[in-house]
Amino acid sequence: MKKLTLRHLLAAGTVGALTTLTACSGLTPSSDGGAAAELDPDAEVSITVGDYPTADKPEERAAFDAQLDAFREANPNITIEPSTEVWDAQTFQAKLAGGTLPTVMGVSLTYSHELIADGQLPDMTPYLEELGLIDDLNPLALANVQDEEGRIYTIPTGLFSVGLAYNRDIFEQAGLDPDSPPTTWEEVREAARTISEEVPDVAGYAQMTTNNTGGWMLTTMTYSMGGRIQDDAGTEAVMGDETTQALQLLHDMRWEDDSMGDQFLYDQDAARQAFAADDIGILLQAPDIYKPIVQDYEFDPADLGVTELPQANGVNGTLTGGTLKLFDVQATPNQLLAAAKWIQFYEFDKYYDEDIAIDRAEADAAAGNPVGIPGLPPVSPEVDEQYIGWIDPLIDVPRDQFQGYIDSELELIGEPPTSTQETYAALDPVVQKILTDENADIEQEIADANDVIDGIIAQAAR
Amino acid sequence: MSTLQASRTSRTVVAQRSRPRFSVSKWYRSGGLQAVLFAIPIVVIFLYFSWGPILQGLVISLQKTNLVAPAEWVGLGNFEYVLNDPGLVQAALNTVYFAALALVIGFPIPIFLAVFINELRRYDGLYNALAYLPAIVPPVAAILLWKFFYDPSSSGMFNTALGWIGLGPYPWLNAEAMAMPSIVLYATWAGAGSTAIIYIAALSTVKTELYEAAEIDGAGIWRRVWHITIPQLRGVILVMMLLQLIGTFQIFTEPFLFTGGGPSNATQTILLKIYNYAFVNGDFGAASALSVLLAGFLGLLSVVYYFATKRWSPS
Repeated sequence: MKKLTLRHLLAAGTVGALTTLTACSGLTPSSDGGAAAELDPDAEVSITVGDYPTADKPEERAAFDAQLDAFREANPNITIEPSTEVWDAQTFQAKLAGGTLPTVMGVSLTYSHELIADGQLPDMTPYLEELGLIDDLNPLALANVQDEEGRIYTIPTGLFSVGLAYNRDIFEQAGLDPDSPPTTWEEVREAARTISEEVPDVAGYAQMTTNNTGGWMLTTMTYSMGGRIQDDAGTEAVMGDETTQALQLLHDMRWEDDSMGDQFLYDQDAARQAFAADDIGILLQAPDIYKPIVQDYEFDPADLGVTELPQANGVNGTLTGGTLKLFDVQATPNQLLAAAKWIQFYEFDKYYDEDIAIDRAEADAAAGNPVGIPGLPPVSPEVDEQYIGWIDPLIDVPRDQFQGYIDSELELIGEPPTSTQETYAALDPVVQKILTDENADIEQEIADANDVIDGIIAQAAR
Repeated sequence: MSTLQASRTSRTVVAQRSRPRFSVSKWYRSGGLQAVLFAIPIVVIFLYFSWGPILQGLVISLQKTNLVAPAEWVGLGNFEYVLNDPGLVQAALNTVYFAALALVIGFPIPIFLAVFINELRRYDGLYNALAYLPAIVPPVAAILLWKFFYDPSSSGMFNTALGWIGLGPYPWLNAEAMAMPSIVLYATWAGAGSTAIIYIAALSTVKTELYEAAEIDGAGIWRRVWHITIPQLRGVILVMMLLQLIGTFQIFTEPFLFTGGGPSNATQTILLKIYNYAFVNGDFGAASALSVLLAGFLGLLSVVYYFATKRWSPS
């Protein structure tokens, strides 16, 4: 009797729980987020916007608040709330899956292809058309955020191409000319060797290797030598001689020249800290290194030099990156329109109105933000040139120290299209291996890495 | 043998004979319905919050999902992918290597620490507190601190100290061979205190007469420890060893913060792989598949461990 009752109880409980589970899973919001609703630019709508400066940066926060107020005044039907949410590779996927991200925020452009392919981005074309924003976008950047049918899913901003950051003071100490930085990998090797010989306790050249930055930078080096990581369609891994050459160069700098210091587990933040602490002579970086090292780590701006990416085997090109504005796939059409309006207001208006351009630059300068960091504009180069002309008197970044970067005409090459971050992650250990194991078999490492990436591509297509 | 069989047969007969026929009215009258109604909320809550996620994990392991777009069934595709991942073998070996190192280095230390503190006649409370101190430092803060200690340059903290006696500088976390032992060294420092507290509590249950008798027989401290303390603690030791084994197979925080799995995958562990699948790659299917495999393995390990140590267990 006792046994039978227990069995019935368990059965009843299990059935009950399963029913509850099924019922609850049925409550998951649908991914169309009520797209059936009519688009009404004047409807009352609430949105949250990310990248709000944290409380420890009161001046930056005040500048952001001022923009929010101006936006609210111009758009009384939109209730806009800021959020300090910023993109972090370690938590982004979980927050995206959990639906806890703001209506719009900045995310690394790296994710563009996979987020579009996975249906994690809303089609923004109708909203951008409504705002007349499409014609303003830099066509080069646009190619990164469209699908095959030409639909646009995000707005690319904060674009850059990878270049070479170097410490001008260390160059001088080593007897090198900071105004003629290396332009080929052979010259980089020479300069790194000279620095490590002439300046004690400084790594002539350092390489990022962790949190996917190892793969990111190996991809950059491969591009600069004429190679690719994946084919253009992203259907297979195609690393070959150029990647071998890149790794061989790192191997020789590490083990023959001993010009790379002692630390081989840098991620971007750690590398920037070490660079700002005058521990590194040369580092692959984009000009956006300026803000963190100068603002957060008190690096002397006069010591920073940034030039274009060194090349080998002729002139090949450099890797581009940037930020995409991620719109919440579950937001309503009116929210998406409002969010796009905010991005237009915050990121683009300054390029088309001289007063706004000067106001923003003045606000930035007052908040202690650098004005005039070089980079690829999200708008066409002509529009950007006009904008730079407007704010010229307010520019406080020593742009002449970025001349090699500004004048660069290198071809801009997109990131490996399929599972970009996973591809980078798979290459991290390869770079680490070369830098920590003198006898590493480079060819074998690359062959293995090609297999791993092919597996990742197959899993993405599953 | 025959006696055993006979008793089994008779028990079966008794069971068959004594099983009454089930009757709903009798069940109702004896309060069966109330019992069920009483139990349902608890059972449902337990099933939903405890078994629900487990079930959900099993389901996700058979799907391709990013939890935003609709999920697709992929059968055993995720299992195939994680089992074919060339990094899996190394991650498994690293995990086993960590478990082995932790067992050799990390397991005896808390026992010695506990015995040592227990032997102290004075200030034992102070030593207790000192031993426990690392456990109250939040792991993230402690690991970031130890990262400074492990600085590979000759001006790093450990390297400076070792330099005084003519050793080093060592690359610590920056060399494949040294990275894992360095992590175990930290883990031992961090974990020894709290484990020692459990042993100290267990030691207080050892009868003091045994020590007195041994002392009268002329046994020194080592013989007392070997012949009285260790055998008396064996129940706790066996449980702690199993807990440590399960814990070490789930090592995550240390390699995640110290090395991110590097250099060259030397500290890549199974759990770090699961984390990377899910939170870096956004491949929740693969992460769940590997989690299911790990759970299965740990379940199996526990069963094997139970039978392997049954002979030594006091109960």
